[in-house]
Amino acid sequence: MLKSFSLIRRHITPFKRRTPRALPLPSETVLSSRTNVRDLRKISRCGSKQGFLPEFTLSLAEGVEMTERLLIVCLLFFATPIFAATAPDLDDRTRAIAAELRCVVCQNLSVADSPSEMAQQMKGIIREQLQAGKTPAEIKNYFVSKYGEWVLLAPSTKGFGLVVWLLPFVALLAGLGLGIWLLRRWVAKRKKREPNSVEPALLARVRQEATIGKAVEHGAEDSSQKSELIQERTRLYADLKELEFDFQAGKLSATDYGDLRQEIESKAVSVLQRLDALSESVQSKTAPKKPQKKTRAEKAGETKVAGLRGWRLAAGGAFLLLFGLALGVALTKSLRPRASEGDTMTGDFLTGTGSPATNSEVASSLQEGKAAFAKQDWAKAIDAFKKALASDPNQAEAHAYMGFILVQAGHADGALMAFDKALAVAPNLPMALWGKGMTLYQAKQDYAGAREAFEKLLRLMPPGQERSEVEKVLAEISPGGQPGKPPPQTASAAANPSNQISGKITLDPKLTANVDKQATLFIIARPAGAAGGPPLAVKKIEQPVFPLSYSLGSENLMMQGRPFAGKVTISVRLDKDGNPVTRQAGDLTGEYKNPVDVGSKNVDIELDQMAK
Amino acid sequence: MAWRRLFITLLIIAPILWLLAFGFQRDARYINSPLIAKEAAPFTLTMFDGRKVTLEELRGKAVFLNFWASWCVPCRAEAKDLEAAWQQIKEKNMVFVGVALQDTEKDSRAFLQEFQVTYPNGRDDSGKIAVNYGVWGVPESFFIDPEGRITYKHVGGIGAPMVKTKLAEALRGIVTAKEGRGESQSVR
Repeated sequence: MLKSFSLIRRHITPFKRRTPRALPLPSETVLSSRTNVRDLRKISRCGSKQGFLPEFTLSLAEGVEMTERLLIVCLLFFATPIFAATAPDLDDRTRAIAAELRCVVCQNLSVADSPSEMAQQMKGIIREQLQAGKTPAEIKNYFVSKYGEWVLLAPSTKGFGLVVWLLPFVALLAGLGLGIWLLRRWVAKRKKREPNSVEPALLARVRQEATIGKAVEHGAEDSSQKSELIQERTRLYADLKELEFDFQAGKLSATDYGDLRQEIESKAVSVLQRLDALSESVQSKTAPKKPQKKTRAEKAGETKVAGLRGWRLAAGGAFLLLFGLALGVALTKSLRPRASEGDTMTGDFLTGTGSPATNSEVASSLQEGKAAFAKQDWAKAIDAFKKALASDPNQAEAHAYMGFILVQAGHADGALMAFDKALAVAPNLPMALWGKGMTLYQAKQDYAGAREAFEKLLRLMPPGQERSEVEKVLAEISPGGQPGKPPPQTASAAANPSNQISGKITLDPKLTANVDKQATLFIIARPAGAAGGPPLAVKKIEQPVFPLSYSLGSENLMMQGRPFAGKVTISVRLDKDGNPVTRQAGDLTGEYKNPVDVGSKNVDIELDQMAK
Repeated sequence: MAWRRLFITLLIIAPILWLLAFGFQRDARYINSPLIAKEAAPFTLTMFDGRKVTLEELRGKAVFLNFWASWCVPCRAEAKDLEAAWQQIKEKNMVFVGVALQDTEKDSRAFLQEFQVTYPNGRDDSGKIAVNYGVWGVPESFFIDPEGRITYKHVGGIGAPMVKTKLAEALRGIVTAKEGRGESQSVR
């Protein structure tokens, strides 16, 4: 503890002097002269670079005038290149140390490679400590004392870190050992099998008979097979003798002799074996089949063993293959985007954090829903979010999106429930707070509740454009929980004809042929200036007959409680399938180009475009 | 024989599987601080009002040291709570010190104004104080006892009850070896 404390103390001392200790400074007397310290430093660097430092320092000690003259010369000619030349040295050293330290805010990046602010600051600290004359080891120790061994990209060779260093070599040695052991066992097995075919007793007989030159024996019971074998034996014995002679005469090398001899001997042994077997069968003609049966049984046993070995190998191979496949499939399947900072990349059985399939499903449904939401394809979005919520009822984002869809459809209560569900899971989810606030404010006129939600949201938002928007909305609600500028009362608006838009809808004669008799007409009002987003009011007319007179009022509002006032843009769509949220080829559309004020009359629109 | 083989195979595979599972379970970025129960690194912090505060002069008091940044969402989430806690325990022998990290002076000041933070706050522009405390993200909070020893570290957002409890413990010199974890922590 004391040691680390002193380390900290040493570090804490501010490093005002930026000169590296490696470069000698002029003597104190010079330092105290008129020339300022900074310039002198340049000289000393300049001098050391040029390799005339001793003489130069001497001249410095001799007089300040000289110093100044030289200083000017030096500054004029060397200052720039010298700075370029000495700075990289420190930079390199800083970089070398930084390359060995792990950036604390990144993943698997060194301090040297990381662009993060924290890494830049760490580099600054390394640089300062280097300038203060600390050794790289001391600097690394300093960081280890603060962040633990974790901060070293290469773990230390002490304690547990040693295991990491040794383990690969241990594994390599173990693998090598295993390989050698297996190889030796294999070779030993083969060797064991070989002598079986060459019985030592028979070999000895071959050698003995070959040297004495076994006479050709002809018995009465000669069969053609036996005489053939005997001839073969005689020839082999002769070969052996000849080989011996050649070797004695020096015609053959020792290895050739050995190889050839072994080959002939083994041939002779097999001939002897066959001869013996033949004479045996002749001797015991009464039971000739017995030994044959035996050999067949033996053979069967042998093949059985060989077969078993083959199966084992195959089974081992199959197991390895399956294990690899299972691991590969399980790993890739369990991968998912991190849900939060502390979350892991893998789920399910590997970490016990929920099924990976569901997680990826939820993620993909959520993604799908968001895409549909952005395209204002509400039906598809609802499906996707419902699917996500069915797999994971705690998907705060899906709840929030559902809330937005519901509020657009005019179900403020359902929307509020959805936002509350989202907030129950994630109390600080900005979009849910925003949705709740807007719903309470616009649909429910619950200004106090809206205020609370917006204030909480405001606390969470960093300054920016989004934040100023929240501030703007919050400003509309005065602190008393009452609306500062009360939105136009909608209750009276319904009865008021001035809060209606009316006009005529006609059909472009060119498109008459394209009209589907079963189509539904939608008259849509959007707030002026809103490129996308939910419509303000929609009127649905089934099987319309053109020309058609219409009026749009607050009874057609999508979101109840929202004022039907101000400027709006009006568009119409003759929809083939009658589904307001889908647009398809063949739908006829028309638009009233200029935004109109609510209360306008004669807003006549022509259906003149066909969706492709 | 077959059982022995199976046993040996398992003996080899099991540790490898365990190692894999262990690796996947860990947050590779999480840094366990080696500083708990150790002497807190002394610092001199220039506060936003220009005055200076050093850890030395806070000896004899329990210190709550909070690293934050105006761009960090969990910091915003905890800011109001922290100020409320400060208001409640102001009179006692406890001190709050806030350190803004990786932040511009303007943004930091705006943050303090927004949440009407009254406890001493300063900016660590070189990152030296942060590195001295092994900070690897914001918010991170340290509790220091009257002897100047770190008694507890909390990574991520922290609530007022926790601050009060741990400060009371720090005042009595009780060390909590296990780091606390709050709502997600931001890194930049």
